[in-house]
Amino acid sequence: MNSISVLIIILLMLMLFVGRWQGLKVFLGLIFNFVAIFTMIILINWQFNVYVVIAVISVIILAIAIYLGADSSLVTNRAFKTSLIVVGLLMLLTIMMQYFGQFQGFTTENSEELEGLSMTVGLNFNNIAMAVMVISVLGAVAEAAMAIVADLNEVLERTPDMTSSSLYAHSRIIGEQILGTAINTLFFGVLGSNLPLLIWFTRLKYSLAMFINAKLLAAEIVTMLLGMLGILLSIWVASWLTVHEHMRQKRLKITDERNI
Amino acid sequence: MLSVWIFLRHDAFLYTNPVGEVVSVKETINQKTTDEHNNNDVIKNQRLSVRLLNKNHGYLKIENSYAESQVITNRYRIGDQLLLENVDGTMHILSLKRDVWVGTLAVLLIILLIVYGKWRSSRWLLLSVLVNLVLFGLALLIDIHDKNANVLLIFSVLSILFATISLLLVLGKTLQMLLTLLATLLTTIFTIIILMIVLKITHNVGVHFETMSYVTQVPSSLFMAQTVIGVLGAVMDESSDIVAMQFGMRRENNQRQFSEYWDAGMSVGRDIMGTLINVLFMIFMAETLPMVFLMLRNGNNWSYIMDQIMNLGILQSVVSAIGIVLAIPVTSIIVGLVVTRKRVTK
Repeated sequence: MNSISVLIIILLMLMLFVGRWQGLKVFLGLIFNFVAIFTMIILINWQFNVYVVIAVISVIILAIAIYLGADSSLVTNRAFKTSLIVVGLLMLLTIMMQYFGQFQGFTTENSEELEGLSMTVGLNFNNIAMAVMVISVLGAVAEAAMAIVADLNEVLERTPDMTSSSLYAHSRIIGEQILGTAINTLFFGVLGSNLPLLIWFTRLKYSLAMFINAKLLAAEIVTMLLGMLGILLSIWVASWLTVHEHMRQKRLKITDERNI
Repeated sequence: MLSVWIFLRHDAFLYTNPVGEVVSVKETINQKTTDEHNNNDVIKNQRLSVRLLNKNHGYLKIENSYAESQVITNRYRIGDQLLLENVDGTMHILSLKRDVWVGTLAVLLIILLIVYGKWRSSRWLLLSVLVNLVLFGLALLIDIHDKNANVLLIFSVLSILFATISLLLVLGKTLQMLLTLLATLLTTIFTIIILMIVLKITHNVGVHFETMSYVTQVPSSLFMAQTVIGVLGAVMDESSDIVAMQFGMRRENNQRQFSEYWDAGMSVGRDIMGTLINVLFMIFMAETLPMVFLMLRNGNNWSYIMDQIMNLGILQSVVSAIGIVLAIPVTSIIVGLVVTRKRVTK
């Protein structure tokens, strides 16, 4: 039997054991996201407008990751709103970075894998570099947004009458903790996925100049930095949204009581 | 930020290679091509006039040709700075100088971090990232210097150091930190054991380690090392969340039963596992995209691409997901046992 399918079955069983119904939802979410990435590949390959495709698919992936991840609709709605704002900002930043940094395509380092392949494929690899960067940060943004919104919500449930300044202070403390762990997750994830490339670069004694400027590595560093920015912005935006909406609700409540 | 940008635009004197800036571009020949898979592309020739920024301040002309898809060739524009190399008297382009943009983005991040967390707390985070990078560099050097080095061993030791340092810097030397570390390491070990057993039983059927890029060592142990590091951050994230919550419960009331800790741990874990799995899933899948497009355009069918190009990306996502799910019961058990046992001995 195929090793990967065995591992997938093990994963499904573990998820059902740990998460029951929610575990099944998470598993389905992964499959849907896989399909979404697939769809994106096909649409870009058919030369649809790449900005539109990336934007639409990003929204779909975020929605799946967030709505199939947790139950509370208050938490998911706010996390979704946060992620949309942050990913929008990051997309603009990505377009700028790609325009100036030109991280697209392959280099001579890849020549072994590229042997026998046509290099004049009529598909602009600028766009693909952008897709890679945006897709890589989606998960990190969604995770950070969910974490902070859920935690702040719990604080509010315990003490509903919190003033805006003390809620803001809470969001600071919680935000700093989440920032630390989320950045670590992304950092190790990217480091792990690039281990062979890094060993290769060091082994071939690349000069420091090439380490910083070479396309393959620079692209990875930029992806990581964009992800970290995304995490930071999510925490910021989510805290602000939570405090803002909480204040509005409180004001509404006060006016309601007056009317009665 | 602006000053960093200006500095990096003018840091050519730091380079030993000649650095030049494109001052004018003349595109000459336009040539339409159609490859064997009916892809239409346009190949263009550029005549670049480059002003040298370090060395002597002369001008020189460089020819460059690129295809519009820019799969492996590059189009250069006015204002681009280039790293050059002198081979037998003729200059050719080594790479675009990208440090300006990479550096500016890094500085933007650091400034925002400091604005958000003030210097007090951002300092620890930056320090831990920096220390981890240095350690990683050392591990790379050890791995390269020793010809018979065991990659998996080196990077496993590295992961233990990573986890210990990151958690020490965040949590300090406390029982909470110790339990988080224990849970993280045990989970990672279990995950790798599961992976090894499955690979052994199924004889690697359907896994194509030979498709790995940039391989310099035994691909399967390189893959395991990759997975250990990749999954470490996510597992650490998750266990520290669960442990923190369980310690909060203990502070409220330290007469709780094991089952209460277990239930609470599982319920927190359930809420965060979905988004965490997605973080790594997105990173690993995005990595495979450029090659997928190139293969698609070269007339390969989907089943071949799934099998050859996305193979390791999928495998890594699945293994990491197993690690992330596994962390939940492992952490819940460890904390539950230790916390309830401690009370009894008191």
